[in-house]
Amino acid sequence: MFSFDPYSPAVDADPFPYYKHLRDVAPCFWSPEAQMWVLSRYTDIVTALNDWETYSSASGNLMTELPGRAGATLGSSDPPKHDRMRALIQHAFMKRNLLALEEPIRAIAQQVFGQLKGVKQFDFKEVSSQFTVKVLMAALGLPMGDEAIVDEQTVRDNAVLMVQSDARTRAKGPEHIAAYNWMQEYASKVIAMRKAEPRNDLISNFAMAEIDGDRLDDREVLLTTTTLIMAGVESMGGFMMMFAYNLATFDEARKAVVANPELLPDAIEESLRFNTSAQRFRRRLMKDVTLHGQTMKTGDFVCLAYGSGNRDERQYPNPDAYDISRKPRGHLGFGGGVHACLGTAIARLAVKIAFDEFHKVVPEYHRVADQLPWMPSSTFRSPLVLELAV
Amino acid sequence: MANITFVEASGQSTTVNLADGWSLMQGATANGIDGILGECGGSCACATCHCYVDESRLGDLSPASEGELAMLENVAAERRPNSRLACQIKASAALEGLLVHLPATQE
Repeated sequence: MFSFDPYSPAVDADPFPYYKHLRDVAPCFWSPEAQMWVLSRYTDIVTALNDWETYSSASGNLMTELPGRAGATLGSSDPPKHDRMRALIQHAFMKRNLLALEEPIRAIAQQVFGQLKGVKQFDFKEVSSQFTVKVLMAALGLPMGDEAIVDEQTVRDNAVLMVQSDARTRAKGPEHIAAYNWMQEYASKVIAMRKAEPRNDLISNFAMAEIDGDRLDDREVLLTTTTLIMAGVESMGGFMMMFAYNLATFDEARKAVVANPELLPDAIEESLRFNTSAQRFRRRLMKDVTLHGQTMKTGDFVCLAYGSGNRDERQYPNPDAYDISRKPRGHLGFGGGVHACLGTAIARLAVKIAFDEFHKVVPEYHRVADQLPWMPSSTFRSPLVLELAV
Repeated sequence: MANITFVEASGQSTTVNLADGWSLMQGATANGIDGILGECGGSCACATCHCYVDESRLGDLSPASEGELAMLENVAAERRPNSRLACQIKASAALEGLLVHLPATQE
């Protein structure tokens, strides 16, 4: 009897055989363990992403939602409220407005990856998480240096913990909730600092942003800041782990991008398709939908398995091959539709610079372990540790 | 369902059959049409799915929202009266046979 349990360690480690079965045999599948429907084919997921009126995010978009979060963040609200919030903050995330960050990001990359000079073996997580937190602090304007209110490591640890869930209880455990609460407290202190003395950074900008006299309320600013920190540290950090994992696994791809760094953007896109860290998000039905002979009822939760849609042979030929010349247009690595990831441009920019600088110091590397410890998460997928040897 | 014809700046013309509700951007990128990038994934945040809609059919489309009009200020190619963002146009039977020209550059 086939089962698909997004809380099981087996799915954390390798969801792809499950996805293949789902796509071929049960493309509209009820998972009793998750208590939700699972959509796994590319076209079904795109259809759902385009139809926010039916597939609502307002009851939360994480597979395992955090308490009190749904409805107050961009990812967990529907238009028109969503569009109002997004209009207030998306300007800062547009590609052309990120150019000023390019040099600071490169300086961070040189400093962080420079530490690897002469090192024979290392955990990539150490450097990738240092890099992401520093980039995020610079981009969001989190207090650093003399102004810092906590050390980077603490921000990092809590951001990583808050997206996880307990593999045994299938819920957020006390440690995950505590990390989330810590992050909210931290965010509220930063917001207070920026409101008192606004600067030219993202948090100041959207705490103070105004369109036609409309502003985000305090709770929206707080939960959105918390989410941006979580998304920045966890999603970008997780994606960098997956990208390093792919390049350490597929020698030819790594050699190609090391020899010609201009291929990095193509390799990044293919990684977003091949095994994006954003594997599964959820929606809730606002009306009954019949699909592949199953009727999903109003109020039911639906998992959109981006990681599966990206491996759908109906969309991408030879989908299980990591092929950096593929140019996988329309992939679901950042989701899609009105809720597509806000940070696509900064993620692409930062990861490209990171690997460009990383490869200048460490052009040859491979994985030390065959089996990796995978993060327990029903939403995201990345290894907790990635030992690399030169 | 609607058949939509995309004409790239090179003159290359491709007709795709789109399910109701799919955005023209998603229909183009899923079908390998190169003249549309859609970098932001369809959230009306990047202006890289700029297209020129057949002027005689503009009335068949829902009018552009405030967000789309604001984002159209950021398109890389010339903005014209029939400029739209393909991620904001949803396929439906009303758009059957629509002709969409794509600009030479999106960024």
